[in-house]
Formats: sequence, structure tokens, C-alpha cells
Amino acid sequence: MATSSGQQHVRPWRYLTAFAGIVVVLYALVFLTGGGNLTPKLGIDLQGGTRVTLTARTTDGQPPPRDQLIQAQDIIEQRVNGLGVSGAEVQLDGSNIVITVPGDAGEQARSLGQTAQLRFREVLQGPVPANQAAGQQPAPGQDAQSGQAPASQAPASPAPAQPQGMGEQSRPVAPVAQVAPLQDPPPTPAPSPTPSPGGLAPDDPRVAAEVTKLRETRQSTDQATQLQALLSLNCGAPDPLQGYDDPTRPLVACSEDGQNKYLLGPSFLEGTEIASAQAQQNQQGVGWVVGLTFKPQGADTWGRYTTENVGKNVAFVLDGDVVSAPSINQPIFGQTQISGQFNQDRAQQLAQVLRYGSLPLSFDSGNAQTVSASLGLASLEAGLIAGAVGLVLVFAYCLFYYRLLGILTILSLALSGLVVYAVLILLGRWIGFTLDLAGVAGFIIAIGITADSFVIFFERLKDEMREGRTFRSAVPRSWERARRTILTADAVSFLAAAVLYILAVGEVRGFAFTLGMSTVLDLVVVFLVTFPLVVLISRSTSLGRPGLSGLGAVDRIGSRHRRAKPAVGRRAATTGKGAGA
Amino acid sequence: MTNPESLSGWTRLTTGTANVDIIGRRRTWYIGFGVLIAVCLLSLVFRGFNLGIDFTGGSQIQLPATGANGTISTQQVDRVYEGVIGFAPEVTQSVGSGDAASIVLQSEPLTPEQLVPLREALFTQLQPLGADGAPSAASISDSQVSGTWGGEVTTQALIALAVFIVLVTLFLAFYFERAMAAAALIALVNDIVVTAGVYSIIGLEVTPATVIGLLTILGFSLYDTVVVFDKVRENSRGLLKLTRRTYAEAANLALNQTLMRSMNTSLIAILPVLGLLVIGVGLLGVGTLADLALVQLVGMIIGVVSSLLLATPVLVDIKLRDKRVRDQAARVEARRARAAGRGGTDSDAEDDPATDTLAAVSSSAPAAPRPGARPTGKTGRRRG
Repeated sequence: MATSSGQQHVRPWRYLTAFAGIVVVLYALVFLTGGGNLTPKLGIDLQGGTRVTLTARTTDGQPPPRDQLIQAQDIIEQRVNGLGVSGAEVQLDGSNIVITVPGDAGEQARSLGQTAQLRFREVLQGPVPANQAAGQQPAPGQDAQSGQAPASQAPASPAPAQPQGMGEQSRPVAPVAQVAPLQDPPPTPAPSPTPSPGGLAPDDPRVAAEVTKLRETRQSTDQATQLQALLSLNCGAPDPLQGYDDPTRPLVACSEDGQNKYLLGPSFLEGTEIASAQAQQNQQGVGWVVGLTFKPQGADTWGRYTTENVGKNVAFVLDGDVVSAPSINQPIFGQTQISGQFNQDRAQQLAQVLRYGSLPLSFDSGNAQTVSASLGLASLEAGLIAGAVGLVLVFAYCLFYYRLLGILTILSLALSGLVVYAVLILLGRWIGFTLDLAGVAGFIIAIGITADSFVIFFERLKDEMREGRTFRSAVPRSWERARRTILTADAVSFLAAAVLYILAVGEVRGFAFTLGMSTVLDLVVVFLVTFPLVVLISRSTSLGRPGLSGLGAVDRIGSRHRRAKPAVGRRAATTGKGAGA
Repeated sequence: MTNPESLSGWTRLTTGTANVDIIGRRRTWYIGFGVLIAVCLLSLVFRGFNLGIDFTGGSQIQLPATGANGTISTQQVDRVYEGVIGFAPEVTQSVGSGDAASIVLQSEPLTPEQLVPLREALFTQLQPLGADGAPSAASISDSQVSGTWGGEVTTQALIALAVFIVLVTLFLAFYFERAMAAAALIALVNDIVVTAGVYSIIGLEVTPATVIGLLTILGFSLYDTVVVFDKVRENSRGLLKLTRRTYAEAANLALNQTLMRSMNTSLIAILPVLGLLVIGVGLLGVGTLADLALVQLVGMIIGVVSSLLLATPVLVDIKLRDKRVRDQAARVEARRARAAGRGGTDSDAEDDPATDTLAAVSSSAPAAPRPGARPTGKTGRRRG
């Protein structure tokens, strides 16, 4: 065969030097760049932390526009930074946004996906207690022009202490502090067994139809339809309209705690006009409020509106829910407060969400996971132990079966591990690659695939020796053939990993990535280390004895061929056998 | 020198001279796989899968099994849960061992408004110990999954599966002959059905990790088939012009030559997975590691068996539909019959010397049943 002449030209040291060069370069990069941090980036399932996957929800069921996703990612990133936790990350994964917050501080991350469309709407009618029967809506008649006029009286007693404040204050229970207490059938704290809405929302395609339908009823401009919607609205159910209400039309909405219903006018001011928002202790009572400062134009609109509507009620509507609906005691030109049933956390959260803008898209929390640091540590340990056990088992088997070649296998795997570790660190720095539990599993499973390349080569070697070649001359020939098989097999493995990586979502990607990476590095090691080392061994008189390499039996069969061939010529040899002539 | 007959079975296996007749018994394998697939399909249709919360939506809470007041029992956890939420959780189990032992509770989806007090109650009442040995609220892990999330994972997985199969078909058709590509695909489909079937029959929980695992098995399964077919192709090169052996025999020979490699490969691949499974289940009980390991284990075993006993036999049968292959097989038979008539004189003596060795070893093999015939030989004599 053509290679017979070429086989002497294999220069094993060249390959080995090339590999050493690669290792040196990789580790130079590891040590000299990135501030000498020598650990790969670990996923939250290995170090503890919170991961929230937000799935964009679109009204038409189409994939959300890329630029809106990026915009949303930016805003969420700002919100995350506002949390003040270090190492948090916001990544785009298909049409999902994945928020990762390491450590124990991640609980707040769960609310970061709030759409946070804050709108200011006039209260046309309400509050109507949510759990009240249909007949019990006598109020509407009288307060058609936002009848809460008397609202300012009673609680107005603890008069607007705040300089510019709205005459509003939060009571522990009633969300609409000033308004509510006045109403005769007050929407007082009914025992609330209903879990509040705002949990999970329905499927994409259905959302579209649902939203359209709800806009026709709950956002109708027809008074009869409005009243009907007001009566039939169920505040206990999830609200598909959340984040999709049309600002230019009226809206029938629930209060945030699900206890009251309102009929609201079109939005006259948007949350995008908010310049800043802070959580503040309520100076007029218990609890917390959110202080708002508007941008110049927003402040203008707000000032004009409050001037013209003194005595009326205004609703702060966040993502379709009424956060609070105080009455306007006086024109307000500066800071404004939103009060509701806030505790400190909730107020801070809301302030943050408002401060960092509203998202261009609505998101569902597809998957939210908090892993405790101890569970993460246990997982990491389990992964490492499993990897070690796997390696030891493979080592033991290779030693038993291939003896000297087995040592080569071990050496190659160890070198492969060395390269993998460096690449992991570098990828963590360069592209933010994070090693998660699935990724660890990918590496462990790749041990087998890597070792298999050696098996293919060594078994080929046996084939050649069985046919009568010496160890030495069998090496280049068997390599030539094994090489093709290894390339093909690895190509299939890599194809599987690449397809998974590109198309799959969630933790699948970590697994696919490490599997694919191992496959590529496997090729590097087999070509640059294993093969040249086998060549070196085959050329050494002391190490090249077949018995050392577990090739004794096959060599004995092969040597029969060698002796038989010249003796028999065309005819079949007959080594102690009766069948031949 | 060693007499071939004195070689032990193990040595024959390791030297690729075992000559087990696999192709000749292909009817048996087909029946076996047929029954297996039928059972799996029936189970898939009638039993379906035991879907994890990632698919159905739900909440899972995991906390260390050790609290400040001693070991925490599942009943205690249930009681706390009922106290806060009002009804019992779906599943509460204790998993893992040693320091990593924990209690896992699964329930219907909880809203943040339910979850926060639940976590607080679990901490205050049970005092689970954190990594540093002190009671810590942060030692409680939880995950919330919406039902739609699992749907998305599944959809993406199915898309990935479809794309993979198309690409692999193209690759195989380009790299191998069409018959080989077809046979490899049949084996692949078999592997998918059987692995899924095993999950359905045993009622193992299907998680996204399982779905991923299933996809990677496909790579492995093909990988194995590719290696065997590579050898078949080598053995059958120029076969039609010779009368030394039939295609079936060439394929069987390839199987034997790669038998030990297949076993080694599988064993080497399975050993780490086994380690993963034992450690994953033993230490952690549930989770990604165990799920991935289990599906890989099942799939790898099925994958290697099918690449040996299904892919190659199917390949031979597809090949036999080709008239040229059948004609060549007939010529081989005729030649052997002539040879037998002449008292066993070998008319195809360019066979290499190894023939004897193998004939002796394979005396019990029915692949080439003619008396005195040399049924099999070594590959590569053309090179000699």
C-alpha cells in the first residue's frame, strides 16, 4: 500500500511538540490573562444561586422581535444591577431571557421579569368589591363622575402632611387608603383565600385570542359593556390582559390584591415619564410607599391633570392591576407617592422596576430555580466523584486489557483533561461559558467516547498484526485506517452535540457544549499524543514487545502467517491442521 | 506454535477470530427486536410516560434532611406544607445519603405569595442545617416550573431530533452507500423506540435531562454502527468480482472482527455512566446527574446490541435485494459445490493462509456450511 513507503517518515516528536506547544499557549493564557483566576465559571446548580428563565409572551403567537428582546435584556440587566448582587447575569437564549444570580441573594430575581407598564388612569367608577354579587353595585350611579368626591373629607383630617403629597396614605389593609374608608359598603379586607393573580399565564397562541376578546369587553368604550365587564370580572383568576391593555381605551381592572374592581379611563400618563422611583417609609402612617419623580414633560402633564381634577381619583395601574387609587387633594407638581399594601420588600421591588423602565414585551416565568449553596456543593462533589470513579474504572479496564497501551490511554486521557480544564477557564472568561451539572455529565460521558478512539486504533493494530505484520510495521498502517473511522465516528458525535447546542433550550446546551468540546479535544489528543506515542513504543526494542501491550496472542497468530507465507506460496498453509491439501 | 484449536474462547474473541455466526441467525434477531419494539410501542400507547414537573408544571422544594433538632422526616415536611398551603403536597420523599441527603417535595405550582411563607415556615419549624452546620434559610432550594416550559423543552427537543436525523441521513448517504444509511437509520429508530419504551414500561420519570440524554444516545448508537459498517465496507470491497465469500459472510466477518471493539467501546463508555449513576443516585438521589446517567445507560446498551444484531443483518438483507449481490452469492455457492465435488481442493487458492486457522476455529459455524469449504478468511489479503 502506498503508505508502506511513507511510514518511516512519521515524526512522532513533531506531533508531541505541537501538542506541548498548544498546552503551553493555553496555560500561558490561563495564567497571564484574566487576573489569574484559576477556576472555571460554575453554574448556579453547582455553586448555589437562583436562575429564572423568562419566556417572552407575544399577542400573536409569533416569535418576539429580536430587537425587543435585546431591549428587554438591557432593562432587566439594569434591574439586576440595581439589586446590587455581584456576578449576576442576564442572557438571551432563543426567545428566553435567563437571569442567573449566584449565591443566596437571588430571591428577588424572580420578580425582575415584571413588565412594569405603569399607567396613570382616571377612575371612572369604583372601587367595587371584587367578591360582591352583581346586584350590589348601587354606587355606580352616584359616582359616575368618579363620585369619590367625599373621599377627601374623612381621612383628609390627617391632612396632606407632605408638601406636595397627594392626600394619600397607606393603611395596613385597604389598598386605596383615602378612598375606600369612605365608601359605605366599603371594600374592606375580606378574608382573602384567593391566591393573588399574576402567577402563570396561558399558552402563547391562546393568549392572542384571549387578549383580543378581553379588549372588546374590558376595554370597551360602550358603557353597558363596561358595566357588564365590571360585574363579571373575576379577580381571582390570572389575567391574560396583563401587560396588554390598550392605553388609549378605558379599562376594567382589579386592584392588585384582587379585592376591588375599577372602571378606569384611558391612560393620560405613562410610566416611561418617570425619572426615578424610591421606596420610602410612609411618613403619614405605617408601611412603605414609592416616591416618584417625573421627567420634565411628565411632570408637566401630571401637574396639569392634578390641577384640573382635584377631588377626583386617579389610579396607578401596574401591568393592568390597580396598585392604588387615591383621590387628588391638590395640584401636584413634584414628587408623588404611590401607596398600597406595601411592605419594605414590595416597595423596593416596585421602585426598582419603575426606575428601570418598562419592558417592551411581557414575560412568563417559565422556570425559576433556587439552589442552595449546600446542594450546589453536594452536586459539584457528586459530579467530581462520579467523574473520578468513571476515570478509574476506565483506567483499570484499559490496563487490564491493553497493558502498556493502557498506560498510554491513561496518559492521553490525563493530557486531554489538562487541555479541557484550560479551555474551560478560558471559555468562561471569553464567552461567559458556565459549567453546570449537565455539563459535568457531558464530560463524564465523553470519557467513554474519548477512550473509544484509542480502542478503535488498538483494535486496528490487532487486525494488522493478526495478518502477519510486526507491531512496528502495523502501527502506521493501522493508524491510517483507524484515523478515518475515528474521524467519522467523532463527526457523528459532534453533529449530535452541535444540533443539540443550536436547537435545544435550557440545561441541554451545557451538556451539548461539553460533549462537543470533548469530541474536538479528543481528536487533538489522539492525533497529537496517542498516535505518536504508539509509534515511539513500536520503535523501541524494549517497549515494543507485543506481550507488553496485550498483543501477545494476536502476535502469535500473526507470526504463524509470517512463517507460513514464504513456505507455501499460493497454497494455503497447514499449520497442524487437517483441512488443507 | 499455538495450535488455533487451543486458543481459548476469550482469546478468539479478543483476537477477532471468534467467528460467531450473527448474520445467519438474523431471523432470530428480527423476531427478538420485533417483539421488543411491539412491547415498547404498546406501553408507549397505553401507559405513556411518567412526566416530571418540568413537563406538567409544578414546584419542587428540596431541603437538607438534617435539621438543628435532628433528622427531618418527610411527615414533618408534609405537616409544615399543609399548615401553610392548606393541603398535602403531591410527593414528599427522602433522597440521597450522607451529608447530601435531602428531602424533596413536589407539588402543584405555587405562587410567590405561597412560596415565600412556605420557605419561612420550613426554616423556622425544621431548622435545616446549611453547609456550615448552622441552620440556614438559604439551605432550602426550590424550583418553579410552568407547564408551558416543559412543552417548549419538548418541542425544541423534537425539532433537534428531526434536524439531527436529516443531517445524519445526509451524512451517512454521502459517506456510506444508501443501503448502509438506511440500515443505520432503522437501528437508530429502534434505539429511540426501545429506550423510550423502557422508560414507559418501568415508569421512570421523564425530565428534560432524560430527553437530552435520549438525543445524545442517538449519536452514540450511530457512532457504533459507523465503526461496524466501516469494516463491512472494507471487507466487501471488490467482493462482486470474486467468489471467495458472499456479502453475508463478509458482513459476518466484519462483525466478528469488530465484536471485541464493540464490546470494549460499550464497556468503556458504560463504565463512567455507571459511575455517574451510582454516585448520582447514591449521593444526590434525584436530579440531572441521575436522569442523564440512567437514560444513557439504557440507550447505550440498546445501541450496541442493535448495531450488532440489527443494523448489520438489515444491511445484509437490503443488499440481498440487489441482483448482483445475489448472483455473486450463487457463484460462491457453485464454486464451493465444485470444490466439494473435487474432494475439497481449493480452487480459490488466493485465499490467504489464515483461512485454515479460521476454518478450524469456525468448524461449528454454519455460515458456510459446505463440507471442506473455507468459509471465511481474513481481510486485507488483497494488500498482501
